[in-house]
Amino acid sequence: MINYTIKRLLYFLPTLFVISLVTFIISINAPGDPVEAILSSGAGEGQRSDKMAQEKAYNEVRHSLGLDLPVFYCSLGNQTDCDSIHKISNALHRANLERMAFSFGNWKRVSDYYSALKKTDAALSAFQCQDTCSIKNVSSARYLVSELYNQYDSTSIGRAIRELGALLGKSKETKHLVPAWSQLNSSYSLVLTDQKVYRRYLPAFHWYGTSNQYHRWLTRFIKGDFGISYQDKRPVSTLISSSIGWTLALSLASMILSYLIAIPLGVISASEKDSLKDKTITSGLFMLYSLPNFWIATLLVVFFCGGDWFSWFPSPGADWPSASLPFGEWLPKMAIRLILPLICWTYGSLAFISRQMRGGMLTILGQDFIRTARAKGLDEKKVVWNHAFRNSLLPVITLFASVFPLAIAGSFVIEFIFSIPGMGKLSLEAITARNYPVIFTVMMFTAILTLTGNLIADILYAFADPRISFNTKPGK
Amino acid sequence: MKERILKQFRKNRLSVFSSRFILAMLIVALLADFLANEKPVVCNYKGRIYFPVFRSYLVNLQAARWQDDFQNADWKTLNYDWSVFPPIPYLPENIDKNNLHSTSPFSQQPVKAMRWRHWMGTDELGHDILSAMIHGTRIAILVGLISMVIAGFIGVLVGSLAGYFGDEKLLISKGQLFSAAVFVPLSFFYGFSTRYYVLKDSISESLTGFILQVLVSLVISAFVLFIGYRLGKTAGRISFLSKRVRIPVDLILSRLMEVLTSIPTLFLIISIVAVAKPSLFLVMAIIGLTTWTGIARFMRAELLKIRNLDYIEAAQALGYSEKRILLKHAIPNALTPVFIALAFGIASAILIESTLSFLGIGVPPETLTWGSLLSEARQTPSAWWMAVFPGFAIFITVTVYNLAGEGLSDALDPRLRKES
Repeated sequence: MINYTIKRLLYFLPTLFVISLVTFIISINAPGDPVEAILSSGAGEGQRSDKMAQEKAYNEVRHSLGLDLPVFYCSLGNQTDCDSIHKISNALHRANLERMAFSFGNWKRVSDYYSALKKTDAALSAFQCQDTCSIKNVSSARYLVSELYNQYDSTSIGRAIRELGALLGKSKETKHLVPAWSQLNSSYSLVLTDQKVYRRYLPAFHWYGTSNQYHRWLTRFIKGDFGISYQDKRPVSTLISSSIGWTLALSLASMILSYLIAIPLGVISASEKDSLKDKTITSGLFMLYSLPNFWIATLLVVFFCGGDWFSWFPSPGADWPSASLPFGEWLPKMAIRLILPLICWTYGSLAFISRQMRGGMLTILGQDFIRTARAKGLDEKKVVWNHAFRNSLLPVITLFASVFPLAIAGSFVIEFIFSIPGMGKLSLEAITARNYPVIFTVMMFTAILTLTGNLIADILYAFADPRISFNTKPGK
Repeated sequence: MKERILKQFRKNRLSVFSSRFILAMLIVALLADFLANEKPVVCNYKGRIYFPVFRSYLVNLQAARWQDDFQNADWKTLNYDWSVFPPIPYLPENIDKNNLHSTSPFSQQPVKAMRWRHWMGTDELGHDILSAMIHGTRIAILVGLISMVIAGFIGVLVGSLAGYFGDEKLLISKGQLFSAAVFVPLSFFYGFSTRYYVLKDSISESLTGFILQVLVSLVISAFVLFIGYRLGKTAGRISFLSKRVRIPVDLILSRLMEVLTSIPTLFLIISIVAVAKPSLFLVMAIIGLTTWTGIARFMRAELLKIRNLDYIEAAQALGYSEKRILLKHAIPNALTPVFIALAFGIASAILIESTLSFLGIGVPPETLTWGSLLSEARQTPSAWWMAVFPGFAIFITVTVYNLAGEGLSDALDPRLRKES
């Protein structure tokens, strides 16, 4: 028994690891640049003159987010890969350089070329146009350089470099830029002459150690630092802590409600099997079970919350009663607001638990000890409630843990429809705003809650039925 | 065997009803263009007979062009000599300017004649709801079927490998094991990793080019794998590499499935879809890739039973290869229960898709599905028909597939019926 519990606990960790990995993989593939998203709150578009300052600010934010680290502990690639490429801040440059390194096979030469290109770019940016110089030439030279950052095939790079040289050599004022250009040119010809194409066909394994993005993200997550929301620059942890209470409280409330209703229903329909009552309950529960909760929620809102029909309940858009109200006023306001969401949240698991309860009761009622109880003359009520009910209660109680994740999943739709400020609504808003730190934190949290639910369920099952062991397999 | 199952299935009136309903839905999905369309099915225009709906298929395939008269034509106002319109003369994207702002199905509708009536009303933008419902059927069925084809393929493969080989049946020599450990990553490396830029460039050019390049990659991978296989066989003859080891296939695959099932599917789908560009196919693929474990579990349990049956032993005694026994004798006999899982799977796939489009994520906003129609009801709470009809369609579809699944499982195992 204890063995099983320990094994099950140990098994929890790799699952969590896989989930964190999946979340991480999705998060690094999210479109958009997190650094830009953080920076965008600051001053508007900078001018060309403070390009360097901008780049510096960009690099600082990038460093603070840990994006200048390798992605994972190790990587599998080919010999042309460079293990320091993640230090290059501009994502487009990085992709282009990777491609150049792949096609020429020599990272060292390519990175020399890149630094020469950057120097030329800096010199061109610093260049102030006097009266005599043609502004057109300089701007087309700048354009050529910016294009060079995105070119990877030898013909277009060669052509652009030649054109750049011709442009710079034209007027006297730009003459002093020519040395920078010739350095660029010579570094590029080294790239061409020193090609090692064969290296791309040799597999390579890189090991980066613990200073990587995944490790950093995971350790911070465990410590409770979930990053900063892009939208309002608040820490994600405060957003989560203000919303998780709603979701947990409502899920728990709905579960207690569904148990209170489902268990008597299940017992009644099992003890009066095949009667009209049983048939109505069973088919009613089957209907409830397959009713999509977002439909029912929408119908309830359309017909009962203002609109053209009945306005028995406040509309979902209305303000929530503020906590400063005296409790006697606050409670009824809150209660009337929560009735409809709770109904939608509850009926699905109610149907599920009730069906399970009925099934369990029927199995028990068919057993010998029940026949004995009946044979000794106990009245039917006592047989059902004292003997059968008690025995079938335990497995249904352990269902708690597998229904709980369902309740959490229900939060998504119902919080959205009734605008309850819980986790589901938080993450949906984050999705529309592309606020990734919030999305992935919520995802991790729900995964952990679900996993914990499953864990508790399995251990409870094992306690309820000691025959279960870790290696029991269905079908054997 | 099959007849017995069918007989049992037919005994249950609800499952017969549900299977007929599913058939009707399939027909509606197939014929959606002929049931609700702005174009006439047949028409006589300026003395010639045309079949515009058929023609539109050819035009979509780029096999034909519209006749000059019909280029950018407003189909409703053309002066036909005679014409046969579909019963619902609207496409979901058509906008009826006379019936903007959610016209109720029961109100006075400013339409020319009864057959132009909007039987289920219109939405805020003047789209015909009934037409959107009919075309939405097609999307719902497509989502259910395609995602379950993906899930079924993976589930059958993984489940039957785990069930047939178990933990003790797959024996390979150390040489083969080592060569597999080296050559499987290598085949991926040469097939896809070194061809990354070729594949990436081809996908931006054309789809056929991309498929061709993927095929080339697959051939390279297969070739590398083949070399590894031959090498492993040869290495297996060397004495110290020839010792055979057991591969615990079942253990590995079952643990993998357990990890996958404990990931909350809806949240996984929502977060992937939130990151990627909205596309219906992506939604189907993700649903398929995350829900195959149910099918795999069915398949595994079935094969664990089958592999100990006499006829499999007989096949082994005859010296058939494991591959032949698995593919030709074991899997075909285990497939029937998979249909139960498929029926439930289609129901949940349709439910997931409609939840996603209700929340407005994953499915492109211009695609009108049942879920997105229902979500419009939230913006215009007075339009009860927007809330009732699409939601009912989702409900009845999910119920019918669930009923079919239950009917099937009862028919396959009548014992269960008595117990519950």
